[in-house]
Amino acid sequence: MSGMHHPGRRSVLAAGTACAASLGASWLLSGCSGATAAPVLPAAAQRGAPDRGGTLRIARPPASDAETLDPASSLSAYEYLGALYNRLVRIGADGEVAPDLAESWEPDGAARTWTFRLRKGVTFHDGRAFTSADAAYTLRHILDKATASPQAGVLAPLVDPRRLRTPDAHTLVVPLKSPNAEFPSLLTHYNCYVVPEGSGKSIGRTGIGTGPFRLESFAPAGPGRVTAYKDHWAGRPVLDAIAFYSVADMSARSNALLAGQVDLLSQTNLDFATARVVAASDLATIARVKNAQWYVLPMLTTDKPFTDVRVRRAMKLAYDPEHIVKAALQGAGRPGWDNPVPPDDPAHISAHPEHDPEQARYLLRKAGHEDLAVDLYTSAYDPLFTPMALAYQESAKRAGVRIRVKTASADSYYTQIWMKQPLMATYWYTGRPVDQLFNQVFRSGSSYNETAWSDEGFDALLDRARAETDDARRRDLYGEAQTWVIDKGGAMTPMFADRLVGISRKVRGYAEHGFEFDYLGIGLKGA
Amino acid sequence: MLSFTARRIAAALGTLLLSSLLVFLAVQALPGDVATQVLGKDATPQAVAELRGSLGLDRPAVERYGDWMWGALHGDFGTSLVSGTAVGGEVTQYLGNSMLIAALTILFAVTGSLLLGILAGLYRDRWPDHLISTVSLVGMSVPEFVVATVLVLCFSVALPWFPAVVLYGPDATVGQLLPAVWLPALALAVVMAAYIVRMARTSVIDVMASEYVTTARLKGLSTWRVVTRHALPSALLPVLHVIALNVAWLLGGVAVVENVFNYPGIGKLMLSSVQNRDLPVIQAIALISAVVYVVCNLAADLGAMALNPRLRTRGRTR
Repeated sequence: MSGMHHPGRRSVLAAGTACAASLGASWLLSGCSGATAAPVLPAAAQRGAPDRGGTLRIARPPASDAETLDPASSLSAYEYLGALYNRLVRIGADGEVAPDLAESWEPDGAARTWTFRLRKGVTFHDGRAFTSADAAYTLRHILDKATASPQAGVLAPLVDPRRLRTPDAHTLVVPLKSPNAEFPSLLTHYNCYVVPEGSGKSIGRTGIGTGPFRLESFAPAGPGRVTAYKDHWAGRPVLDAIAFYSVADMSARSNALLAGQVDLLSQTNLDFATARVVAASDLATIARVKNAQWYVLPMLTTDKPFTDVRVRRAMKLAYDPEHIVKAALQGAGRPGWDNPVPPDDPAHISAHPEHDPEQARYLLRKAGHEDLAVDLYTSAYDPLFTPMALAYQESAKRAGVRIRVKTASADSYYTQIWMKQPLMATYWYTGRPVDQLFNQVFRSGSSYNETAWSDEGFDALLDRARAETDDARRRDLYGEAQTWVIDKGGAMTPMFADRLVGISRKVRGYAEHGFEFDYLGIGLKGA
Repeated sequence: MLSFTARRIAAALGTLLLSSLLVFLAVQALPGDVATQVLGKDATPQAVAELRGSLGLDRPAVERYGDWMWGALHGDFGTSLVSGTAVGGEVTQYLGNSMLIAALTILFAVTGSLLLGILAGLYRDRWPDHLISTVSLVGMSVPEFVVATVLVLCFSVALPWFPAVVLYGPDATVGQLLPAVWLPALALAVVMAAYIVRMARTSVIDVMASEYVTTARLKGLSTWRVVTRHALPSALLPVLHVIALNVAWLLGGVAVVENVFNYPGIGKLMLSSVQNRDLPVIQAIALISAVVYVVCNLAADLGAMALNPRLRTRGRTR
């Protein structure tokens, strides 16, 4: 920071001019012109090789004042995790499960028992060797009730912590309670980073993992720093260090980037006005993460009128996703057509019913809701919620659906509105493997099932898909699951949005998809 | 004089008690509690229930308020429901950081606005008055976060003279915070000064039109001497109250401005505590704000009395 704020050479007079002309004006203009102006945003980050060394400065929103480095916790400081730890498996750029600490894995014939072969010669930051005992401990730690991990709900129905076996130091055997051909994909979740055996009590502060960086300092909701771990098994990271700063306010975060105080804004999907200011800056630019967020208008299937599948179908046919992408996203994304599986996921099917306001009208009349009027809740939690809600309102008008858009407080949106109001706006990060997506968000009784949709036939289909060991047939079953969700489910998925990430023009090798962030390759040019 | 002071202090204590109760009730009325807010979207219902139990949130509200007041009377403000640290120490640390901004703001606003206000009053209806009056009117009408944002755009982004945000935590040293206090202080001073300028201007105009100033002038004293010896002491009296009220306002304005600058002060602590529904911290800050407000008003009243003999005697004879 000390290097940043030496007085400029321009005169005070120039300050006024520069301010009004270059910044103030573009800032005001983009604020006023709104949806009519075409976005002139760069399609990708700067290319080229980074220089070795340097410190990357990341501004992030703190998870809470009670943040921890324990990856299994719901309060984990997310940005540190991928720098400090590794998982057994991760998601590759092609959407398939890729090796991380596990070099290979295979199921038995019935997909009931999975054997993971672990990488040799891996050491934790304290010098201890990584073995299968650590991998087994990590699973037990996630499943431990005292950890209260959100991922426990996903793994507990499958894994009995007492039956995990470690026949040798580099083999982990996981017997499952029911067959699951997609089990490894569940371990790609960011709660599943591997921690050393017995570290449950201390890991929240020590952050000892096998990752490319080791912890130097960490303060909950405060600044922290990690430095390159030279003995990392995949080689030394490009950077010397990463400094993390907590900046709760989103505009303060983008100001820090514009002023050159930080190099990257994490977990910040910039709104279009800010994105244009950032793209026009000499110091900063925009990187797009394609289809990074999946936006939803969940209808609570346990609340009237959405208990009626005809009403749900009418709500979906009533609006035009292309219109929402144009109006709310200004084109920076793709229409969802109510299919939650991202367009670039290998399991995605492109079949979907067309936008049909007349059919929607007909269905509503049959269901006895000819003049349907419903409240749609939104908030400032995410900059796209309200534009999406308004675009939906506008589009559904043609089918005679009257939407009243209600704005709720952002800070209690996810505790008071989400899963409580019959219709609201929300989003997820994409990058969930298809099995996890369906079982977490659409299966009866799952804690993330935001539409409270419960369909035995659908659950049975998911079970069949999991148990199917033939890859092609399994993919067909997941395709069928998508059709099922589109036809009967409670979730409207109007769009997949590119995430607009603010980064410094010096950053090279920025790569992010889903929950994956390339900490090894990212670096700075001329730092 | 004594009974007046005693009555004012009693009223002040009553105000403090009332404000703590109102804050308590207001936070109860907010949707969600600390358990749901802290654990957030990813929390399991069991985790929320457990946290609620361990924090004692399942006890009746009256009981919790009583406990808190009892502790506060003994100088114990409890522990933060979120960080688990003592509220007293935490609040003091953040308050100290805010004081840095507040002191500078008061310095800027009071000296600057008094000078400008007197100038405008003395040059009534001429161009310095028009300029100063217009600018102060604008300053009054623009919210502090807009002023702050414009300052950031000019002096952090276009010209990198000052940091746009503070990247340090609450335990930052004065030396680390020093480069970052100027813009927030300036933003607050702009908004605060506007009121003082206008009050000072009116006051100076009134006094300059009074008979004793005319007399002093007729005696042949220089304008400079008339202004400094005769006019200003009386002119400043009504301004004192406005300054006191603005210092009290400062605490609220600080909350907004600190957020723009990510400054680790009491305002930012207040905001995150409200977001987290961290009741002990909110109450402690509310109490401090009330104390500041009450003390500022008290000081203005007593100061006015000290400066004005007529008020002093009226208080005695009543």
